[in-house]
Amino acid sequence: MSIVRTVFRNPPLLTFLLVALVWIVASLTLRGFGAYGHLRYLLELAAVIGIAAAGQTLVILMGGIDLSVGAVITVTAILVPLISPAWDPTGLAGVGLALLIAVGIGLLNGAGATYLRVPPIIMTLAMATFLQGLLVIVAGGSAVTVQNPAVILLGQARPLGVPAGVLLWIVVSAVVLLLIHRMPIGARFLALGANPLAARLSGVSITRNTLVLYALSGFFAGLAGILLLGMNRQGYVGIGDPYLLTSIAAVVLGGTSILGGRGTYAGTIPGAILLVTTTALITVVNASPGWRSIMFGTLILALLLISGREARR
Amino acid sequence: MSASASNWLYGAVQHRRNRGLGGLYVVVAAFLVLYAALFPGILSIGGFSKFTQNWFPLALVTMAQALLMLNGGITLAIGPLVSLGAVIAATTMGGAFGVPGGLLAVSIAGIAIGAITGVVVAHLRLPAIIVTLAGSFIIGGAALILLPRPGGFVPDWLSNALAGHTPIAFVVLVVIVGHWKLFLATPLGLGIYAAGDNPLGAFRSGVPIERVKIVSFALSGLLAALAGLFVAAQTGSGDPVIGTPFTLNSIAAAVLGGVGFIGGKGTMRGAICGSLLLSVMINVMFFLGFPPVAQYVAQGLIIVGAVAVPELLAQWRAGR
Repeated sequence: MSIVRTVFRNPPLLTFLLVALVWIVASLTLRGFGAYGHLRYLLELAAVIGIAAAGQTLVILMGGIDLSVGAVITVTAILVPLISPAWDPTGLAGVGLALLIAVGIGLLNGAGATYLRVPPIIMTLAMATFLQGLLVIVAGGSAVTVQNPAVILLGQARPLGVPAGVLLWIVVSAVVLLLIHRMPIGARFLALGANPLAARLSGVSITRNTLVLYALSGFFAGLAGILLLGMNRQGYVGIGDPYLLTSIAAVVLGGTSILGGRGTYAGTIPGAILLVTTTALITVVNASPGWRSIMFGTLILALLLISGREARR
Repeated sequence: MSASASNWLYGAVQHRRNRGLGGLYVVVAAFLVLYAALFPGILSIGGFSKFTQNWFPLALVTMAQALLMLNGGITLAIGPLVSLGAVIAATTMGGAFGVPGGLLAVSIAGIAIGAITGVVVAHLRLPAIIVTLAGSFIIGGAALILLPRPGGFVPDWLSNALAGHTPIAFVVLVVIVGHWKLFLATPLGLGIYAAGDNPLGAFRSGVPIERVKIVSFALSGLLAALAGLFVAAQTGSGDPVIGTPFTLNSIAAAVLGGVGFIGGKGTMRGAICGSLLLSVMINVMFFLGFPPVAQYVAQGLIIVGAVAVPELLAQWRAGR
């Protein structure tokens, strides 16, 4: 009895158990679901969401939200092929440049949120709208194919049978978890999310931490964009759009409060896997796009009822 | 004595709410003058009708969004609701009950979906932003099932009446705003502000917070679905994805109009002015021949500017 209660009090563990349950049931009932290749593919897909949701988790923990994640993914996925210089055989220069641009976008978001006092939801929304227009002007709206070897390696390589994207996700997870739970800056983020006024009065700089946070969010979104580009081999306008909602959903499914101050990236990880699994299960059921959309919405709502509820006030 | 005290209180509250609206009115007036100078056609009855028809659905969805934001919520399901309203209108108006039946079906669907969302948010205690996000998938899926591709039927006379050369849409908007004023005078209407401003205080003063929330979601759903019906009449058919841009635009317009995210901050007249401003800006850019993508860029800049400038001004004033 007490074990059950502990599990329900611990959203990350609960979400993790949900994933395990869904995987076991689906493997037993659906042929081919439990195959190593299929599960590995699911993890590969979840890596993109998980990395994009890393920045989102940090921002939401601080009580903000980043609605420009999808746009930043699109920006990097389109810019990497365009800006990778021909003289660089490794392709790292293009990747670095694209990540720098992603960080710059994040910094702009943070600057708008702190210096201009624009609510984050509006600032990042406006940024997404702005980027959407700018991209079509810059890239002309056609799909671009990636030649950059570093990006292709990231998207396609499988050292020891584990996709490089999943390895990248593991590294990102370790870094983010350390950042939140073992470093002073993580404590500052959480403090700002729980009570901005108290945090400020205790000497936590809102300006600097907000800038850092949105820059980090931009960085992780850019990283997700590069990984997505490597897996897809093509970048086009709109490639990042689905990741905006899924990144937020993964965070909330992992038990992080949308109001900030409470939660952990450890919940976002199974949250991302759960989302991908749900989508995969819906694809297995042969339904029209309308029904698929309804099932997706209903399942997310049902999962939220289990793990995403706000505490009774 | 007590009457004058309550009058004074009312005045103070109104004053606080109206702060910053003056500047907005000036900006909206300036844009309207600019618009009239660029396109004198707006001053004829036909031109005015067309202009208000472009504005009408945005005004409705902005009201739908502002209603929830004033109550401390938000909805990301506006766009799909507009689509669903349009699709229901286009599929039922050719049926046995004709236009009245279609109007009834759209209204009932809007109210019911809104109320269900409200129940989930209020009683199951899930954050509104997430529930409406998940809801947008469900509603959008329902619209796709009802009408997988654009089509359906809207009678010509209805299209001509709502989107023809007469300013009926404007009159309807005035009537709707009038009803909002009447609703605000009821305890339930007042409760929307009270529960948004201070949920705990409102609860202790006897405001039925849960019911207020459900009612505001239901009304918001009704307004969004009716906007969909108008869009169907305007285009003469139903389209299952036509409402998509309205989600962001409704939030942008409400914020332009000074409605805050925390609840209880802002006014409906401000929100309607915000939607007028956004609509004028979109129209001006369209007529000046901006490509649609440049409109996105400009819209992003304008939204940030519109929110940042008053904040910076206030900061500058406070700093002096």
